[in-house]
Amino acid sequence: MKIIRLEFLKLKKKTRTWLGPVLVFWLMMIAYPLTVEFLQEKLEVGFFSVLWIAILISMMLATEDIFLEDFNDGTLEQIMIKTSSFSTLVSVKILTYWIFVGIPISILSFIFSFGTTEDLALSLMIFPLSIISSYIFLNLFVMGNALSLNKGSVLGALVTMPLALPVLIVLGKSIIAIQLSINYLGFIFLLLGCLSIIIVTVPLVVSYIIKAHLE
Amino acid sequence: MIKKFIHQFASPKTYLFQVNKFYNYIFFISVFIYISSITWGLLFTPEDFVQGNSFRIIYLHVPASFISQSLYAAMAVSSIVYLVWRVKLAAYLVIAIAPIGAMTTFIALISGSIWGIPTWGTWWQWDARITSTLILFIMYLGLISFHNSFSNYEKADKLLSWLVIVGAVNIPIIKKSVDWWSTLHQSASITLTNKPSIDPSMLYPLIGSIIGFFGLILCLVLLSSKNQILIREKTKSWIKDYV
Repeated sequence: MKIIRLEFLKLKKKTRTWLGPVLVFWLMMIAYPLTVEFLQEKLEVGFFSVLWIAILISMMLATEDIFLEDFNDGTLEQIMIKTSSFSTLVSVKILTYWIFVGIPISILSFIFSFGTTEDLALSLMIFPLSIISSYIFLNLFVMGNALSLNKGSVLGALVTMPLALPVLIVLGKSIIAIQLSINYLGFIFLLLGCLSIIIVTVPLVVSYIIKAHLE
Repeated sequence: MIKKFIHQFASPKTYLFQVNKFYNYIFFISVFIYISSITWGLLFTPEDFVQGNSFRIIYLHVPASFISQSLYAAMAVSSIVYLVWRVKLAAYLVIAIAPIGAMTTFIALISGSIWGIPTWGTWWQWDARITSTLILFIMYLGLISFHNSFSNYEKADKLLSWLVIVGAVNIPIIKKSVDWWSTLHQSASITLTNKPSIDPSMLYPLIGSIIGFFGLILCLVLLSSKNQILIREKTKSWIKDYV
């Protein structure tokens, strides 16, 4: 509980880290209608593709320096010496970032989706998809940033982005499923299944990666 | 027993001398098998009644696709061996295989595109098999650039191994993509469980070309791994004697 409170306080103070990605997401979603003509049907055609990619990029930005400060000021070394559980720390960090960035972005996804499609049922279905996918993307980019801890976030994104692409494919298919009213829950369960595996494996892998950096 | 075998064979010195001993045999046998299979496939196999002569690209496309995935699997196994048993040679193999894996994946993508024009009427389609293979290609490039960004080889090896293991999740996705999604790409003609759906006159040269191509790629892997050993063990006294 103490570690959760500590991570919450730390992230709360770093306004740029959590507000920045949310604002970038907002700007991307506002910029989208400017690139197409203001015809409702034209807006709807590419809206969801832009939405998923905006979530992906925002999550990438959110995790940019997730471990950097702790790595530079020696906090990670202290944790390793104290033999505290690294994977717990990583899980808590990801959860905190998701609460600060993932949830606001998911709420914005719902709002923008409703604003564009004017379909409440569809927008309500988008909300859980964006909630789950933002958590998955966050986990993947955290791993990427752990790998390229002091090498810049571009390298981390480059190596983990391919792993996020199957999720994008599933998200694209789920939109078709919603539009055709077929097997929406199946896609939700598929994403939840992926998430349950990722939630367990990523913190473990990231803890080994950070240890490799510190050794 | 496994541990003893791994440690005995995994000494870079032993490996280098073993490679030198067997390399020529593997190379000439592979060249012979591949050239004879290709000749058989291109000149003596009958035309496909739907695709005509364009199907003959399978003697390059199928081996390249199969081996591009197999190489990634080999990298994943080597990564596990390196992380579990700390076998240095396994780490050398991981980075030695990566560029060759990228090359075979590129061949698979290009040959697939060339085949796509007469059969599908398009050189590219964003279907699950083709997209997941493209992801594999990007992953290979990412792995190479990731490893090159570190000056500390040991750290780079460890991190790369973790990344390769995590990325291995893409291999079953590529393999099963034609079953999980409705794709333009056809499903597998040769499986371990079912009778091949391809005619024997086309099947035998195809199997030969896969074996021959595998042998040639193995030769490249052996050369690349030798190169890695020479770079990484350059300070050792036995390397000076060897060179």
